[in-house]
Amino acid sequence: MKRRDFLRLTALTSLSVAIGVDNRTNQAFGAAPAYDLAVVTGASPQKITSAAIDALGGMTTFVKRGDVVVVKPNIGWDRTPEYAANTNPEVVAAIVRLCLEAGAKKVKVFDRSVNDPRRCYVQSGIADAVKKAGGEVSYIDERKFRDVKINGSVLKSWPLYTELMEADKVINVPIAKHHGLSRLTLGMKNWMGVMGGSRASIHQKINESLVDISMAIKPTLVVLDAVRVLTANGPQGGNLKDVKKLDTIVAGVNQVAVDAYGATLFGMKSSDLGYVRIAAQNGFGPMDTARMKIRKISI
Amino acid sequence: MNTPRRIRIAVQAAFLLLFVFLFLQTESKGNDDLGYPVKLFLDFDPLILITTLLSAHAVAAGFLLSIIVIAVTFIFGRVFCGWICPLGTLNNMVGSLRRSKPRISPRWNTAKYLLLVFLIVSSLFGMQLAGVFDPLSLLIRSFSLAVYPALSSATNAGLDLLYGAPNQSVNAFGEAVAAAAKKLYLPFQQPFYEQGWFIGILFLGVLGLNLVEQRFWCRYLCPLGALLGIFSRWSFLKRSVSEGCNECGACTRVCVGNATPHEKDNWKPTECLYCRNCDDVCPKNAVSFGFGSKQPTGSLNIGRRRVVTAALSGAVAVPLIRTVPLAKQGFHNPALVRPPGSLDEREFLQRCVKCGECMKVCITGGLQPTLMEAGLEGIWSPVLVPKIGYCEYRCTLCGQVCPTGAIKRLTIQEKEQVSIGTAMIDKGRCLPYAHSTPCIVCEEVCPTGKKAIWLEEVTVRDADGNVITVKQPHIDLKTCIGCGICETKCPVIDRPAIYVTSIGETRSKTNKLLL
Repeated sequence: MKRRDFLRLTALTSLSVAIGVDNRTNQAFGAAPAYDLAVVTGASPQKITSAAIDALGGMTTFVKRGDVVVVKPNIGWDRTPEYAANTNPEVVAAIVRLCLEAGAKKVKVFDRSVNDPRRCYVQSGIADAVKKAGGEVSYIDERKFRDVKINGSVLKSWPLYTELMEADKVINVPIAKHHGLSRLTLGMKNWMGVMGGSRASIHQKINESLVDISMAIKPTLVVLDAVRVLTANGPQGGNLKDVKKLDTIVAGVNQVAVDAYGATLFGMKSSDLGYVRIAAQNGFGPMDTARMKIRKISI
Repeated sequence: MNTPRRIRIAVQAAFLLLFVFLFLQTESKGNDDLGYPVKLFLDFDPLILITTLLSAHAVAAGFLLSIIVIAVTFIFGRVFCGWICPLGTLNNMVGSLRRSKPRISPRWNTAKYLLLVFLIVSSLFGMQLAGVFDPLSLLIRSFSLAVYPALSSATNAGLDLLYGAPNQSVNAFGEAVAAAAKKLYLPFQQPFYEQGWFIGILFLGVLGLNLVEQRFWCRYLCPLGALLGIFSRWSFLKRSVSEGCNECGACTRVCVGNATPHEKDNWKPTECLYCRNCDDVCPKNAVSFGFGSKQPTGSLNIGRRRVVTAALSGAVAVPLIRTVPLAKQGFHNPALVRPPGSLDEREFLQRCVKCGECMKVCITGGLQPTLMEAGLEGIWSPVLVPKIGYCEYRCTLCGQVCPTGAIKRLTIQEKEQVSIGTAMIDKGRCLPYAHSTPCIVCEEVCPTGKKAIWLEEVTVRDADGNVITVKQPHIDLKTCIGCGICETKCPVIDRPAIYVTSIGETRSKTNKLLL
């Protein structure tokens, strides 16, 4: 399915949701793996990433030969990997490699950083790791934002990054971190990195806005990096005392489900996260982790 | 064209290219260290060596390289001006658009010496003004703050046209050109500077003077040229004219330095740029340059009264310029947020040569030239304007490029301990305070390990009378380093509801807030 068709479908499904048809949108497209989530723990970030994707049927389930794939990590901050402010570079590189092995024509990696992009890309280790894995790293070009109709409860339209919107497949690779307002930043909040304009203003209605934006950009796959998580002073940290090593990867196709599970990594309930609650109430995904089919692996 | 002149042009081109290359390298690539010695040209500048030595009684180690230039001048004369100086080369290029007989009396040659005397005497009294007129400082400043931003802006305007065209192949062409331009010369992001246009006009003025007379700046104004001219008086390499000279005057028409080459025994080594034009043009081939010539040369006669007047002016300028309130102990301009690692204000001004390298390299573009915020002596010195760009927490580039040590080179660990000011909240504009609207952006972006902005959860009423909870930000004065990212990223974008002023800066003993 082309990205544009997908968007059209998204618009239609959101419309159907709006008029009261309960529809688990993610079932409307793509493969339906045997599990809702794969949760893998182990010492090697690269191995647990591969194992998690394998548990969901392998990368070929998600990426077809000739696809242009966007892998969207969090490269928001000028921090080195041990500070757990950006996605783990080994996790990102592993995904890029798997996409290429699955036959992707191109794998693009970018993020609209908060700190200086050059420092974020280099200091996070992501630019280097992705280049070595064969992916294309690019800085955000402000010319490439286009207004996209969202028709959400708060965001009616927003400039989003065209390279992401025009990709055949999108893989969201957030890191799990503390956040002062939304409590945690997981998968849905990672989309702020492809929002143009004055994106900081969405903090006024953060939960509704995150749901709106997430429903406009549906990923093919979400791989949540919890190799190291930031438990306080998020989202950029800066103190190693706030970093906890969980050596965990959570993967799934439904971003609400992944974020719901992400909450439990911090000892929280999924309903503690406003955006997960609102998304679930609107039928965009499940938030009851007890009812999810979860494949847990330890390697 | 004979060989010396051809070699001279090649050498000029090479140094100009080296200058441009180093200039383009004065930009972050994302690593902690810049990697290139971008301030190299300034390190070789003896005018800055001498004036900094006099004003600050200290000098950055790199400046010892400028002793080489002094030594070279003692041996070969003002070859620095004629062969190396990139501003001289640009003057040459523009001047070649017009070649005419000198129209200005050669007596005006002395103006540059008087300026030199003025600058040296004022530096003796602790005021560093040389950077305003020093040719290398002037060139780097003009390139950084005006020429390069204008070039980038023009290129981007062209690219926007291609990019916005309703034709896909034109768009693709635009992308290809953009990629090439980025690789070749475009900055990472479009720079914007206060007074960019003004510094640009002054620079165009310097270049435009070449249309009055070629190398006008070098002949009449350049204080570095004057300094080297004085050394050149005793240079070993001298011009001599053989008996074949019939005083046709061809050499004078091509002389770019007012060296009176047609007066056989009155050639002025202080004014000669050793460009070899006279040698090249002489129809009798009577001109030669060599060591140990016994031919008499013209002397430098500035005029004792004029020198005394210039020296007195330099001495008087110092207290006069310091009659402003800023010179008062304990008086601080809140807007004067200096780059991290800057020395205490007085020492800072004794060293800063206004070259603009720190502003060029500033990763967010937040470092801007002052106009009168730091007084006349501080004109075009760097100040952080967080509304334009903040100080990146782990970036130390400004200290790496500062040629004089006005901004100390800090390690990242040292920099984390340095405060350049303090953030304050404007409760009348802040969303959670004034408008019962959630927002935590300042806290989110605050980079210190323990955040210097902390949130207090309070219940307030919104416009409809509903009770809601918001998180109101507070500043931890002990932790805030004044980096200004909170001001840059504040969603109240026109006049941010949080802003940084200079109080609490580590470098000052008096601009303190905490006990």
